[in-house]
Amino acid sequence: MKAFANVNPRTMDEAVAMLARSRREGKRAVVSGGGSDLLGLIKERLVQPDVLVNLKTIGGLDRVTSERSHTRIGGLITLAALGRDPLIAKPFRVLAEAANSVGTPQIRNTGTLAGNVCQRPWCWYLRNGFPCYKNGGDKCFARGGENQFHAIFGTGPSYIVHPSDTAPALVALDASFRIAGPAGDRTVAARDFFVRPGDDAARENVLDTDEILAEIILPATPPNRRSTYEKVLDREAWTHALASAAVVLDMENGICRRARIVLGGVAPIPLDRPDAARLLEGQRLTPDLAAKAADAAVADARPLTKNAYKVPLTRALVRRTLAALVNRG
Amino acid sequence: MSELSRRDFLEATAAGLAASAAMPAVGMAAQSPAVVDSSAPRTALRVVVNGAQREAQVEDRTTLAELLRDHLHLTGTKIGCDRGECGACTVLLDGAPIYACSYLAVWTAGKSVETVEGLASGERLHPLQQAFIDHDAPQCGFCTSGQLMSAKALLAANPHPGPADVRAALSGNLCRCSNYNHYVESVVAAGGATPATVATEKRTPQQKSVGTPTPRIDGVSRVSGTATYVGDVRLPGMLFARVLRSPHPHARISRIQTDRALALPGVKAIVTHENCRVTWSSGDTRNTRYLFNNPVRFVGDAVAAVAATSAAAAEEALHLIEVAYEPLPFVLEAESALAPDAPVIQPGGNLSPNAAGKPEPETYRRGNVAEGLQSSDRVFEDHYSSSHVNNAQLERRVSVAAWEGDKLTVHASTQGISNCQRDLAADLKIPVERVRVVCQFMGGGFGNKNQCHDFDLMAAVLAKQAGTPVRLELTRKEDYVAVHGRWPTSQYYKVGVTRDGQLRAIQMRGYSGMGPYRKGSGGIAGTELYECPHVETIVHPIYTNTAVAANYRAPDYPQGVFGIESVMDDVANALQIDPLEFRLRNATKKYHDELPYTSYGLAECMRRGAEAFGWKERWRAPASDRGAIKRGVGMAMGSFQSRVGRSSAVVKLDSSGRYRVHVGVTDVGSGAKTTMALIAADALQVSLDRITVISGDTDRCPYSVGESGSRTTNFTGYAVIEAARDLQRQIKEKGLPSGDQVLIGSATPEPRIDGAARYSFAAHFVELEVDVELGRVRILRYVAAHDSGRIVNPLTAASQVKGGVTMGIGMALHERLHYDPKTGIPLNPGYYGARVMTHQDAPQVEVLFVETEDAFGPFGAKTLGEPPIIPSVAAVANAFFNATGRRIKDLPMSRERILDVLA
Repeated sequence: MKAFANVNPRTMDEAVAMLARSRREGKRAVVSGGGSDLLGLIKERLVQPDVLVNLKTIGGLDRVTSERSHTRIGGLITLAALGRDPLIAKPFRVLAEAANSVGTPQIRNTGTLAGNVCQRPWCWYLRNGFPCYKNGGDKCFARGGENQFHAIFGTGPSYIVHPSDTAPALVALDASFRIAGPAGDRTVAARDFFVRPGDDAARENVLDTDEILAEIILPATPPNRRSTYEKVLDREAWTHALASAAVVLDMENGICRRARIVLGGVAPIPLDRPDAARLLEGQRLTPDLAAKAADAAVADARPLTKNAYKVPLTRALVRRTLAALVNRG
Repeated sequence: MSELSRRDFLEATAAGLAASAAMPAVGMAAQSPAVVDSSAPRTALRVVVNGAQREAQVEDRTTLAELLRDHLHLTGTKIGCDRGECGACTVLLDGAPIYACSYLAVWTAGKSVETVEGLASGERLHPLQQAFIDHDAPQCGFCTSGQLMSAKALLAANPHPGPADVRAALSGNLCRCSNYNHYVESVVAAGGATPATVATEKRTPQQKSVGTPTPRIDGVSRVSGTATYVGDVRLPGMLFARVLRSPHPHARISRIQTDRALALPGVKAIVTHENCRVTWSSGDTRNTRYLFNNPVRFVGDAVAAVAATSAAAAEEALHLIEVAYEPLPFVLEAESALAPDAPVIQPGGNLSPNAAGKPEPETYRRGNVAEGLQSSDRVFEDHYSSSHVNNAQLERRVSVAAWEGDKLTVHASTQGISNCQRDLAADLKIPVERVRVVCQFMGGGFGNKNQCHDFDLMAAVLAKQAGTPVRLELTRKEDYVAVHGRWPTSQYYKVGVTRDGQLRAIQMRGYSGMGPYRKGSGGIAGTELYECPHVETIVHPIYTNTAVAANYRAPDYPQGVFGIESVMDDVANALQIDPLEFRLRNATKKYHDELPYTSYGLAECMRRGAEAFGWKERWRAPASDRGAIKRGVGMAMGSFQSRVGRSSAVVKLDSSGRYRVHVGVTDVGSGAKTTMALIAADALQVSLDRITVISGDTDRCPYSVGESGSRTTNFTGYAVIEAARDLQRQIKEKGLPSGDQVLIGSATPEPRIDGAARYSFAAHFVELEVDVELGRVRILRYVAAHDSGRIVNPLTAASQVKGGVTMGIGMALHERLHYDPKTGIPLNPGYYGARVMTHQDAPQVEVLFVETEDAFGPFGAKTLGEPPIIPSVAAVANAFFNATGRRIKDLPMSRERILDVLA
């Protein structure tokens, strides 16, 4: 590992200032939430910081607070704390389930919500230092290469899959993100936070160099909401989803009034499926309808040479996740 | 791919280990041997460790694992991957388990850290530690500290957990010995257990002997973090070495420039092919292989090694070595490498020569296979393939070499101290007496450390050149690409059979990808499981520009048995004969239908295994279930040669009545020390607590064959009996020793078997369900019946079987080293990428021993270490077929292949 200096800001403003100052001084600075994945990237020299801004020393951003119209979650809350927080577990079940499904207990004990959302992709070309878009190059090696684990949606030019479990849940919950930056805070809807490779293949989200994802804001949960997060792994633990589905259904007298289906592990961003969701709205949920929505959810899939299997897998996952919610009611 | 991008991979390969590049610690911390890299930012730190306030000054980049190991000398916390992919480094931070390798030391300021060293209170073990010993949870022990810490956090939150709770809580802790069942049992048992009262290694109960389930005699060191593995060895003035590796699968090196690297402060020695022509004889049995070869022939081939005063300096120096490569054409697949226009990897061509030096395949024939096929009613023809799978033991390979004058001592993580010593002496061209090899504990090997390795030699060469001890530790990535794994195979079968299910002919033509050097046999075994008049097997070991392939637990077997047992399953199903019945009818009765077996329990394994499993009730026609979840059962057989041969032992008795058994075993995790003690106790007719085993040191132990080929019990155990008898004879003659007198019994028996074959046997039965929509396979039930003759220690023997089965399931379903076809670069070298089995993946395995009487071996014990992996892959594949009616013919049976075949 190359040498770097760890700095401990006390506030988010201070953290942002440290980033900006480092950059002015010609130093490369990175922010670290839990740090476990970041340290791996540094050890592999895929990230080579001079300064590491450790956010763990910032107070107050590791908790959940609930107000009438919304719930605020500090970006530095660990996935373990988030998964067991009573303010999250029931009203935002999809998020709690997503948080509890990440990695291993050890990873959840250090990994933060913001870190999980901003996690770099696990594409093996990227992680092995190939000069791809994500490593500052101008190529995606997965296209025409070993792409068993890559995207089945999207038109490139990068075919990574977004690895986060919590991101699909947050998009499905219509969350918004408070971003701290040198010019003050800005708030971005979760659905606008993630960047399609067609817009910029080098990045996964809208964060600028000196910006930090500080807080997640969830609108209050209406009564009669059913939500869940399901994922398919290719071993039973400790890997990223081949496909995952965050589903939120707002029900009224047995009729679905509003639906959200967001997929993880299959596209370069958490993939909202409004067409599939629309099929459910205004309807009484049935197994047949679940199957139709699942078909719609993968209708525009464009698999690469070696990942066609993810299409039926994703379809089955969506169908079953919806069916499970039907039964839960 | 551009040179620049190649370099990126190289950097990724080279990056990794960053141990102990740090300031001497202050406060209570003892001194660190590393020299300061003055430019690296440092921070003074206070942290509570195991209840005591500690202070240290660390570089900011120092991880918590490095703080504990290198500054505070708490080496019970292990580093298996340094990437949060294995869990060996798990410690508690303010009560919560975290990966200490993936957390900076400076982040722990003001917090409380608990490690394995804090578990026991003085002599009193924590209930978890005692339960781990009693249930034989640790095998090699390298993952144990991490498992303990996760378990401790679980019990704090849930004092009486059930098995599912334990699996979830420990899901972030791999065990490559795969003794998951015993770990779960231990934690469940510890929930609510009363604190243990005994805590010494001499705890072993009285009157235990062969056949009694016996906890390991070194159990306490394995659960308390006090077992000294090679990575824990610290010598004064020790340097840290790293290896620069080729980013090309095949290239000529036209120039190496080391000046800039040598000028880096702290760098003491650099060796390359230009200044080091030392051969690595056990790295290639056919060609001359040097420590550094030109051309380089696979991505990961060693180019240079650097020794420096800190690991960080050594790593930095790798990036300053300039290498000009002229890339050459390369080939990754074995069969393609035989094409006339394929790039030539070794001068004699890509078909590796046979033992006689001729470029011919390894061939076996009996009868006339063409006639046999002609005279068959039906002929089945098929193709199977298997992938490169890594041994992936938790301990990264490491060597510490030190010269005192002209005497070399190497602390090596080796499975065979005698072999390692012999090879070091031969390659360094020094007398064997001037080489000492020490290995007190070893974190698993499964065959990848039978002999001396290049890093042992590199450490010795660097230590000589630098004039001070050198430690060379590989990264996990290097372990995957630059040590070795199981060879990938391509297997073509023709099987002829009569209408009523009698085998007439078996033909197998196989191709094994060996990498560019011939380190292993390349064998594809399995046809010997069947009685059949006409058999022909032709196996081609082939050079490829891939990672080297050599021994991995039953090297020739699981991939070959997967092929033949799948074909035979198809034959049985096509003839509508119950696969069990078909095998009982056609299974081998004599080795190669010729040599009688010294003992034979194969049929009995099948009968008793089937009965325990409930085969008759459970077996149904293939694809009987209609829905998305389909159940199926499968079985497979296995056999493995149980050799006897030369090994030595010394048994000493002094006037205190203590017996010292000197044996050259290292105990890779199998429990060999305990096995040797049990055999000695039984042979001497004394209680186990009077036996001390002295092992793992060529200066103190006589020759041992090494822990390969599952030979330790058979070879060295037999020598222990003979040495004990020699001692008894002396006692009879001279009486018991008194005063300073010591009686020394010794033996080097060389038993032989003439006119018979000695084999261990197994039959495995598995029930699983396949979710045909998600491609998910869940093992529901597993019964492993084994004939390994007399079982010396049923407790550790069960661990061996459960572990082997679980590894085999991983090979069946997950593991494969993937290559990028365009660059020859391995894409998934590590535990995450290989999807190594976790607590959540491992099924409960029921073990059944069929103890046949055998006239050879110690008390009739036969081989056990390797057989458990042999039938497991095929049994899972056959159960998959039974569930779905579809067969996957290429390993692993990944999600992709499952869903493709079911589509």
